[in-house]
Amino acid sequence: MIITKEVKMADLIHMNYFALSVLNRFGIELGFGDKSVEEVCKQNNVDLGFFLDIVNTFVDQDYFPKKHLQTFPVKLITDYLQITHNDYNDSNVPEIEELIEKMVDSNQTQKDNIVLLKKFFNEYKEELQNHINREEEVVFPYAHAIEDAFNSNKIDKSVIELMQNYSIEVFQNEHDNIEEKLFDLKNIIIKYLPQPKDVKLCKKLLHELFSLEQDLNDHARIEEKVLVPKIREMEEIIHKRFSEETKNA
Amino acid sequence: MPKSNFILIEQSYIIRKGLISLIEKIPNTQVISQIDNIKDIDNIQNYDPDFIIINSNLIDKDVSDYLSKNLENVQVISLSKDHNTSFSEINWIENILLNETQNSILKKINKLIGNRISNMPQRYTPDEISEREADILRNIALGYSNKEIADKLFISTHTVVTHRKNITRKLGIKTVPGLTIYAILNKLIDLGDTK
Ligand SMILES: [Fe+2]
Ligand SMILES: [Fe+2]
Repeated sequence: MIITKEVKMADLIHMNYFALSVLNRFGIELGFGDKSVEEVCKQNNVDLGFFLDIVNTFVDQDYFPKKHLQTFPVKLITDYLQITHNDYNDSNVPEIEELIEKMVDSNQTQKDNIVLLKKFFNEYKEELQNHINREEEVVFPYAHAIEDAFNSNKIDKSVIELMQNYSIEVFQNEHDNIEEKLFDLKNIIIKYLPQPKDVKLCKKLLHELFSLEQDLNDHARIEEKVLVPKIREMEEIIHKRFSEETKNA
Repeated sequence: MPKSNFILIEQSYIIRKGLISLIEKIPNTQVISQIDNIKDIDNIQNYDPDFIIINSNLIDKDVSDYLSKNLENVQVISLSKDHNTSFSEINWIENILLNETQNSILKKINKLIGNRISNMPQRYTPDEISEREADILRNIALGYSNKEIADKLFISTHTVVTHRKNITRKLGIKTVPGLTIYAILNKLIDLGDTK
């Protein structure tokens, strides 16, 4: 089902309650009564088109936003992605670490196994951090530069050089699947780890892993289906304009 | 993994040394005794070999009777100059030719060891995967590359890749660190073994 502006915001949450984290990132709080998506967005100063793209990407894996250029600015996308990165670093990852730590403490009998999980997650954390750093240091600044050039009156030669050294295609190709390890961790806990003493902790941990995995999946889809096509389209137009401008000069 | 023990019965010093260096290329193998004179064959009784490699020229009726009487669980590998040498007196399981290539000999011995090990009931394999897959998984968890595993187990890299795919499908675990944890939890390797 595609979420349209007429859908009630409450129904969206009923459909997929993990979408709460998306709302959070837009600063939208609960208590919206029977208001529609459009009304809630207006009330919170949120770009409706952008919100719909993000939310639909989240609830439907196969959703592919169509009109890239007409709608929202690139900065809106990268800001959203940035907030999501911060969420991972400040909330999701520490939460999981804390749960694993508690499990180590409460499972004297199979401490070795839990320590193994801990080591695994530490490695994962590092991998995630590298992934995030690369995007914040290389990809986002590049996307901003392309948008600036796209909006300027005249295409500067430096932008063309920039595009020769890097392009969004490079990012598309090198963008790795950061959820794989999480998927493994989940499966190990579900299928192969001898049942720890504190089952509640274990379930909580699983819940956190599931939710981080889903969020990462969605996050990657936004990067690949919203950000990349938009930048690619801008790159093409910039190239075209530049060759026309140099021809006329 | 249990060791496979070899005894060599061969007069030529050079051939014995060559065989030892070949056999010890294979993990978990050792040559526990060498006999250069067939008169000393009684020495075998002091050992508990899994395999005897014997020059086919040395096999006569007496030797053959002796071996079959005293060593029930030993597998005999004959060593001969060419296919025409007669060694029908003894019940040998494999024949190595003096002019054979290293690879071909290693393959033969590995196959024998593999058969021996997979016949041993005490060896542990998790329910989810086959013994061969457990072998591969153990090596993955120890940090070996596809190429290294292929060389170790004398199979093609392509076969290793196929096994890996099957392991991942059966276990639902894709990454090397994930597979390593699985291997440790299932005691395929010890925590201390990992690189
Ligand atoms: Fe990202
Ligand atoms: Fe990413």
